[in-house]
Amino acid sequence: VTRLTDLPPAMAQRLAELDCPDFTTRPWVTGPALPQRRVAVVSTAGLVVRGELPFRGRDPDYRVIPGSAVAGDLLTSHISINHDRTGFQEDRNVVFPLDRLNELAADGIIGAVAGTHYSFMGATDPVQMEPYAREVAGRLKSDAVDAVILSPV
Amino acid sequence: VSALGHYLEEEGIATVAISLIRPQTEKTKPPRALWVPFELGRPFGAPSDPAFQRRVLLTALQMLERPVGPVVIDDFPEDDPRAISDPTWRPPYTPAVTATGQSLAAQLENEILLLRGSHELWVSKNSRTTVGLSGLSIEQCTQYVADWLRGKAPPSPFEHFSAPLMLRFAVDDVKAFCLEAACTTFGKPSSQQLGDWLWNKTATGAAIQALRVALLESEDERLKLIVSNFIVPAPRVPAA
Repeated sequence: VTRLTDLPPAMAQRLAELDCPDFTTRPWVTGPALPQRRVAVVSTAGLVVRGELPFRGRDPDYRVIPGSAVAGDLLTSHISINHDRTGFQEDRNVVFPLDRLNELAADGIIGAVAGTHYSFMGATDPVQMEPYAREVAGRLKSDAVDAVILSPV
Repeated sequence: VSALGHYLEEEGIATVAISLIRPQTEKTKPPRALWVPFELGRPFGAPSDPAFQRRVLLTALQMLERPVGPVVIDDFPEDDPRAISDPTWRPPYTPAVTATGQSLAAQLENEILLLRGSHELWVSKNSRTTVGLSGLSIEQCTQYVADWLRGKAPPSPFEHFSAPLMLRFAVDDVKAFCLEAACTTFGKPSSQQLGDWLWNKTATGAAIQALRVALLESEDERLKLIVSNFIVPAPRVPAA
C-alpha cells in the first residue's frame, strides 16, 4: 500500500471524499514552550496491549497504553487492511513514537512524557467517539498532560 | 484523528495531528496538523530510522508554539527513504504454489511450518512480534484458516469473538507472521516488495485469496462482509 496518490483511483477518491464532521467551533488552546510541556500520544491505529480485547469492528471506545509498555506489548487491531503494517511490525515508533518522545524529554526539548497514552479505532464515526474522546481528555488532564500528538494510520 | 483533535482541544488540551490524507484534514480543520507525504500506515515515516522519525515528531510538536491559529496545516518536506525498493533484498525460500497435488490448505500449513525458523530469527533479532491478535498460537491460527479453506466453518474458540471475527484475526496473525519472517534476510524491503512477495509468491497469499473467493458465496452476511473487505487489501484484489 502506498500514498493516497498511488492508491487505486476509486479508493483514493473514497478516502479523500470521506464524510468528515463539520464543526461549528474552532477551539485553539495555547500553552507554555515545549520544554515545559507534558506530552501524550493519542493514536487511531486500533492499538491494544497484548492480551487485552482487540477493537472489534468499529468500536467507538479506547484502549489505554501505559508509558511503560515495551515494544513487544503492542498489537494493531485496526479494521482496515488498506494501510501498511510492515513499518509498525519492524518499529512501533512508525505509528506510536514513544521512544522518540522519551528521547526528546531526556534531551530537555520537551518537558516530560505522559504516564499513559491512548488508542482509538480510526475507522469509527467520530460522532460516536466524541464521549470517549472527552473522557480521555479528563484522564489526560488528571495526568497533567498539556500537549497531545495525534497519530493516524 | 482531526476530529479527536477538535474534541480534545475543546476540553482544553492543545493538540497537533499528523495528517496522511490532506483533503480530509482540510475538511475537518483541526487546530494544528502536519501533513506528511508518507504511505498510509506510516505517520512517522521510516522504520528503524530514529533521526528521521525525530524530525517528523519535532516538526509537529513545534507547531504547538505557533502564536496564531486555528487552523494551521503545514507540509513535511521529506519523503520516507524506506519507501524505495531495496534490490538487495531476497525473501526466504518458500515452495512454488501449485494448482495440482497438495491442496492450498496443505500448502499453507507447510509454508507456515517452513517459515518458522525465519520467524524465530525475527523474534530474537527484534525482541518482539506483532503476531498475537487472535490469542491463538501460529499453528492454531493456521489450522483455523486452513479449516475454513477446507469448508469446515469451524466455530470460534473464544466466546467474545464471533467465528467471522476470529477468522479475520487469524488471517491478520498469519499475514504478520509471514511478513515478519520475510524481513530476516539481508536488505530492507519496502512495503510494496513485501506485499508483492506475500500476494504473488506465497501459498499463504494464494490461500487467503482463495478463501475470500470461496466465502463470498456464503449466506452469512457478516462473514461475506469480512472476507470481502478485511482479509485481502483492496489493491491486491484481482480485477473482476
